[in-house]
Amino acid sequence: MFRDSTERMTTETPATPNLIDGAAAETILLRDFMESSQGWGREQGRIVYGKLLTFIESRPGTLIFRVSMKGVDRSDISFASETVVELARRYRGSKGFALIDLTDEDMLENWEAAAARKRQPLMVWRGGRAHVIGAQPSQGTIDAFQFALTHGGVRAAQFAVASGLSIANVSSKFKQLWEQGFLLRREAVAESGGVEFVYLRIG
Amino acid sequence: MECTVALPACWVSANALENALLRSGNPHGADVYSVTVGFPTGCKVMVDAAIRLLSLVNQLDHCTRRVRLSFEEGEAGTMGYLNRMGFFDNLSPSIEVSPKRPAVSRKKRYSGGNATLVEIERINKDCRDENLLTRLTGALMDSCRNREDASELKAAAWTIFAELIDNVFSHSSTPLDGYAALQVYPGGGQVRVAVSDSGLGIMQTLRPALKSEFPKLVGITDAELLVEIFRQGLSRHGPDRGCGLKGSAAKAIRFKAGLDVRMPTNRVRLTPARGEYQTSAAYCDDDLPLIWGTHICFATRLNG
Repeated sequence: MFRDSTERMTTETPATPNLIDGAAAETILLRDFMESSQGWGREQGRIVYGKLLTFIESRPGTLIFRVSMKGVDRSDISFASETVVELARRYRGSKGFALIDLTDEDMLENWEAAAARKRQPLMVWRGGRAHVIGAQPSQGTIDAFQFALTHGGVRAAQFAVASGLSIANVSSKFKQLWEQGFLLRREAVAESGGVEFVYLRIG
Repeated sequence: MECTVALPACWVSANALENALLRSGNPHGADVYSVTVGFPTGCKVMVDAAIRLLSLVNQLDHCTRRVRLSFEEGEAGTMGYLNRMGFFDNLSPSIEVSPKRPAVSRKKRYSGGNATLVEIERINKDCRDENLLTRLTGALMDSCRNREDASELKAAAWTIFAELIDNVFSHSSTPLDGYAALQVYPGGGQVRVAVSDSGLGIMQTLRPALKSEFPKLVGITDAELLVEIFRQGLSRHGPDRGCGLKGSAAKAIRFKAGLDVRMPTNRVRLTPARGEYQTSAAYCDDDLPLIWGTHICFATRLNG
């Protein structure tokens, strides 16, 4: 029913491995959780949300879920709002959700409207390129966000070197991006032997 | 007393229906025990008027009034057309039809045979039909397949129906069915998307929540509030919700669609200006004859 995280994915996916800097990522087909190929309405959305939630809870080791829209012919704004957008909000900071195989412009517009209403950022990957729908990063954090998108997993020190900003300033930007749901993070051992965060893109 | 709603002998849009209701007095009036709706020769009922009228007569029947529909031309005229739409399949069995109710439902007979013809679809939250939206929007591709924006038009109509119908499921709390219909008029030149329900009404569900959710809007008029529902998205459930109607309106505006919203005793018509619906471009009618529920129609002319 679900793609194994080690299976070679044939769907459009970000050009990233299933382990992003040590964090497990998995692709799921939204259609597998739906009764039909058309997702409409809050009621149906809540049913699908419940199924998704059960599945995600059964995958404690997975940090990033790539939600493929393959097989979903249509989805309205209410359905989008109650399913993946709500999940992304619930797990903000602890798990990440990205949309893939979303090629229909009308559907993309609906997902964008749903994410914007909940002020939730949501990554959409198309042809190896990502963009954010819904909430957008602030002017002050957008460069740090782009840096993380390009590199997959980054430490504050890396962006500090690249940007010429102080580590404290850069750390603050990455923390803000993590809190707002644009990035994930996990603890890693710093070269000094202490603990530092690795900030991960979602997707 | 007897109340007569005399429809005109021409195309009957929602406007013409409202004018006929105004002339009739108030079919829901406390002293009215019997209501007759007259369909003269030459009367052609458009889809938005048809489902609004269907909701009204079923409401009157539900209130134990005697209701009679009188078709001057019989099945040869608008009665045959309404029958093909499925009007009589959804009409309460105790409503009288003159000269007589069609013996055979032409909708059931021809259903699916010609996707370009409009059919009224029933909205019943206890019997959710997953193929409803596909059927409703099916006519569009058949009628507009030569248009470059046919797919976009169909997708927009699908989302508008999805959100409006879901709104009926979520808010109307009615024992009576709601209805939805789409009609493409000759040559794909005009499209009407209409949804009608007999529930509480969009204002009755939202107004009580304004004080806690949107206190700045407590004092505004129904017309202003309606514009805000479609412009910024308002919901009694708070700021996280309300995106459905807002998103529907955004898609309709792209096709320069006018919006007609009939509430129990008032009606607001909006035309898009500068890419949105604005209060300054709203036409409001107050103190109208009572029709329960919310009746929404998006109508647009398609060029080329």
